[in-house]
Amino acid sequence: MNNVPMLEMQHIRKTFPGVVALDDVNLTLRKGEVHILLGENGAGKSTLVKILSGAYQKTEGKIILNGQEVEIRGPRHAQELGIGIIYQEFNLVFQLSAAENIFLGRERTNKLGLIDRKQIFESSQKILDNLGVKIDAFSLVKDLGVAQQQMVEVAKALSLDAKLLIMDEPTSALTDLEIKELFATIRRLKKRGVTIIYISHRLEELFEIGDRVSVLRDGKQVGTYPIADMTQTDLIRLMVDRDLKTQFPKQYAKRGEELLRVEGLSRKGVLDNINLQLHRGEVLGIAGLLGSGRTELARALFGVDKIDAGKIFIRGKRQKITSPRDAIMLGLGFLTEDRKSQGLIMTLSVKENVCLPSVERFSRWGIMDLKAEDQAAHQSVQELRIKTPGLSQKVVYLSGGNQQKVVMSKWLCRQADILIFDEPTRGIDVGAKVEIYKLMNRLTAEGTGIIMISSELPEILGMSDRIAVMHQGQLTAEFPAQGATQEKIMGYALGVSNGA
Amino acid sequence: MVPKDFLSHYGRQFGTLIGLLVLMLVLWILTPHFFTVPNLLNVAQQTSINAIIAVGMTFVIITAGIDLSVGSIVAFSGVVLASVLQAGLPVPLAIAVGLGVGLLSGLVNGLLITYGRLPPFISTLGMMSVARGAALLYSQGRPISGFSESFRLLATGETFHIPNPVIIMVLVYAAAHFVLTRTKLGRYTYAIGGNEEAASLSGVNVRLYKAMVYGLSGLLSGLGAIILTARLNSAQPIAGVMYELDAIAATVIGGTSLMGGEGRIVGTLIGAFIMGVLRNGLNLLGVSSFVQQTVIGSVIIMAVLIDMALKKQRT
Amino acid sequence: MKKFSLIILLVAGASFLAVTGCQRGNNQAAAGPTIALVMKTLNNPFFIDMQLGAEAAAKALQVNLVVQAAEREVDVEKQMQIIENLIQRKVQAICITPSGSREIVPAIVKANRAGIPVLILDTRVDEVALAEAGGQVATFIGSDNFEGGRIAGEYIVNRLGGLGKVAILEGIPGHETGDARLGGFRQAIENSPGIEIIASQTANWERDQGYNVFQNILQSHPEVQALFACNDMMALGAIEAIAAAGKTGEIIVVGFDAVADGREAIGRGTMDGSIVQHPFEMGKLAVEQAYQLINGQSSPAYIPVNIELITKENLN
Repeated sequence: MNNVPMLEMQHIRKTFPGVVALDDVNLTLRKGEVHILLGENGAGKSTLVKILSGAYQKTEGKIILNGQEVEIRGPRHAQELGIGIIYQEFNLVFQLSAAENIFLGRERTNKLGLIDRKQIFESSQKILDNLGVKIDAFSLVKDLGVAQQQMVEVAKALSLDAKLLIMDEPTSALTDLEIKELFATIRRLKKRGVTIIYISHRLEELFEIGDRVSVLRDGKQVGTYPIADMTQTDLIRLMVDRDLKTQFPKQYAKRGEELLRVEGLSRKGVLDNINLQLHRGEVLGIAGLLGSGRTELARALFGVDKIDAGKIFIRGKRQKITSPRDAIMLGLGFLTEDRKSQGLIMTLSVKENVCLPSVERFSRWGIMDLKAEDQAAHQSVQELRIKTPGLSQKVVYLSGGNQQKVVMSKWLCRQADILIFDEPTRGIDVGAKVEIYKLMNRLTAEGTGIIMISSELPEILGMSDRIAVMHQGQLTAEFPAQGATQEKIMGYALGVSNGA
Repeated sequence: MVPKDFLSHYGRQFGTLIGLLVLMLVLWILTPHFFTVPNLLNVAQQTSINAIIAVGMTFVIITAGIDLSVGSIVAFSGVVLASVLQAGLPVPLAIAVGLGVGLLSGLVNGLLITYGRLPPFISTLGMMSVARGAALLYSQGRPISGFSESFRLLATGETFHIPNPVIIMVLVYAAAHFVLTRTKLGRYTYAIGGNEEAASLSGVNVRLYKAMVYGLSGLLSGLGAIILTARLNSAQPIAGVMYELDAIAATVIGGTSLMGGEGRIVGTLIGAFIMGVLRNGLNLLGVSSFVQQTVIGSVIIMAVLIDMALKKQRT
Repeated sequence: MKKFSLIILLVAGASFLAVTGCQRGNNQAAAGPTIALVMKTLNNPFFIDMQLGAEAAAKALQVNLVVQAAEREVDVEKQMQIIENLIQRKVQAICITPSGSREIVPAIVKANRAGIPVLILDTRVDEVALAEAGGQVATFIGSDNFEGGRIAGEYIVNRLGGLGKVAILEGIPGHETGDARLGGFRQAIENSPGIEIIASQTANWERDQGYNVFQNILQSHPEVQALFACNDMMALGAIEAIAAAGKTGEIIVVGFDAVADGREAIGRGTMDGSIVQHPFEMGKLAVEQAYQLINGQSSPAYIPVNIELITKENLN
């Protein structure tokens, strides 16, 4: 690694009407480094990235690229300058092939004005091969896994000759194995002199891949440090400016009566003879790789997907759950993995979202008691400390962490006492995570039972009372969280260890 | 925060309301006949049928659907209503029959969309043809004319000097506003349009409420048919052609998003009035027939463009 | 769910077949030659009368009659498809009421090539376009819409004593028939300098629009004394608007086509007159002429059908 700065951002300031999003931020990127950008949601990371990618124009400051001052006029211009960005949500056309996506909008044509397919597929395959990934340029993007889709995005950026690659939460949807492959690719890119800005909330992985880290807080720069000099605790302290005693403030509640019992639950090809129980006051952590049937189990319990066999007992009584409505009536609540497409209605307000499952509680003969609804929503917003200008603010304008709290408050407002949380802290920052954990403590103390599905093993270990591990549609192991290790869980999740 | 909140709630309506007021102002300047009480009452009366049908359309579009069959349902309900009236059925019963035909046609749409899983565009396109054909078959292609004075009063009578269709329209809007803002049906209508999957996962019986919304659209088409029939003293199997487009235009001008999840009933009323005032004004000004259609189309496009620009500015 | 939609489909399909099957039955009785009657639409009383006339003649002459029409009056494209299909079916003669006087020419040429005689009813074909395309029609059976408009104009001029203010409700702009009626009416008015046309607006042939548009005209021109509507539907809408304004009997209203509702309104005195063509007669003559042509006899190039004004006096 040499010390020539490939990009310098000096005294960057960005204001929106009424808000200072970035204030005097200085960032220096060296050629071929992986530079971590760290900060809570709303700290200014995405604003900074959007200035680089041309989506926003800076208000003040200078950007110097390879020694020359530049004005990034727009996304197209950023591409021309060699800046590529890979968003959390991919910009891919799923019905097209990998190659067609890589050259989308820049299709090379032959003499007849027709798209030169052969050339496109050949160059794409070459780029993909150089990345060290096994993807057939002909395969349709919709048939690829998430990790492979991400690689198509990377290939697309490289085909544009990107010298600076910005990756926004690249690992949030990947399994541990896929993350390893991604890191291998990143190292290969580094060797080729590509500079990478890497944004992630997963502190542990930063140490593995990062060279230096810049921390932002409330739009201001806290500092830039070599990652080797830092510890996780240091980073958290720099980000939130409050010493978190621990990332997982688990409090153990009294284990009460049985809330939920599942016997022999099966769904063809997805779930195979699942048995589990959930008691009042406990958190049952469910671990497993993507595709192991974790989410499918939650969906089956909640009546979204049909089950082929098995019995479900709620508070000791056998029940038939054939729709989410049935499940909700029985006191279940489901915080889905994907809050944007399944958890929230973006066009509606905070209040309307919070109260949606409880509408019946607030209505009589179909007419709603808006005052009672307001009160309940107000209470939830206060209890969960949801940051919103008002109850009628549309949820689309809230930050990720606050959106997640809105989803939780839907079920609190409904007074559900059997909660299924699928990836409850995905894509939200450390501060909000801790708040969500504390909320789980409070709920269990009040006698709620929680099933928590998570890909983050520290979270499973840190917040569960019991842990169940899934592998290929089966529950392969169940054990107390205390004394368990990440290795033990991974062993069962990968199918290496056997039996409970 | 209060004014901003207020704007985000009512801002869209301001845009269209200002458009309507500007249009009225221009007509006031251009012709002395426009801004008179009798003429304004005429406009309200002429707008009433489209405005009433557009209420149902607004509900449907908020659920991210579309109803292309309203015009044909108007014709079908109209001829059935006319025939039972002529057969001597008492007026209240005949009205119930007219409304019932509309409701049933709408519910068939709803069932095809929910249980049949057809896209709304397809199922209502089919219903558009089926109901039109049914109207023609039922009436043998001929208009059915001549009704009792007591029935005709629905459209020709006045209450407190206000034409009855206008009163019916106002009542329908008041009720629709209440339903949309204060009832379970209204809340679920927005929720389904905003995100059907999330609504279902929140315990909303999506099928039931969707079917109800299409039923409502049919019911209001039936109501439109009653007023139309009473007004013209005749029901025609070819009535209501292109009514669906007028209703969609009123809804969209009023700021309801075709993507669903957003929209307000007051906006639709303003949208319907923009179209009604425009048609009235072009007649008063004696604008040539060739120009009229072009002007109406341009105004629709302009209204939506301005609305979109205003919306973008606010976010 | 699939089962459910399947059942709906089956039921719908079955009822459709049943309905169409029944209608077929009427036309397949006789064993003689087959004559086709292609009309603008089946949704208009005018054309229904024409169909009845044709059916009466077909019954008397023992010929097969095929009656078809587009759904909408202005759908020329659909009408052309129908004619093409009839040529394929090898009918022996085709009678057409053209939806568009130029647009129909290619279809006529095709029929010519297939050796099928073409008879035109009601609306004239553009003769220049026909000659250029090398097509020919055996005969035109119809009344002169221009003449009808002129008769209506003269009636109104007489009633007003040569002095007064007149409004017009036009049909869909650019429509052959409407334009001819309008032209005839305007010519009659121009000959009387004391009569002023104060408004001329379209109501697109429709009853509800006739109501709205004339209501608006009454606002801007409350002094209007007479109305000529290019069809009865618009006139019938207008008389309701007149009634709503409390002006029944104060404004002379003349329509066109003398449909059943129009006649009734004339009887009641809410409408003053309507120009009557005789669609029944046209349909009957068309089938009779077609029969002659098939049997090798010739037809005159133009067979005029009487066009006249009916008022309360000559209603029956």
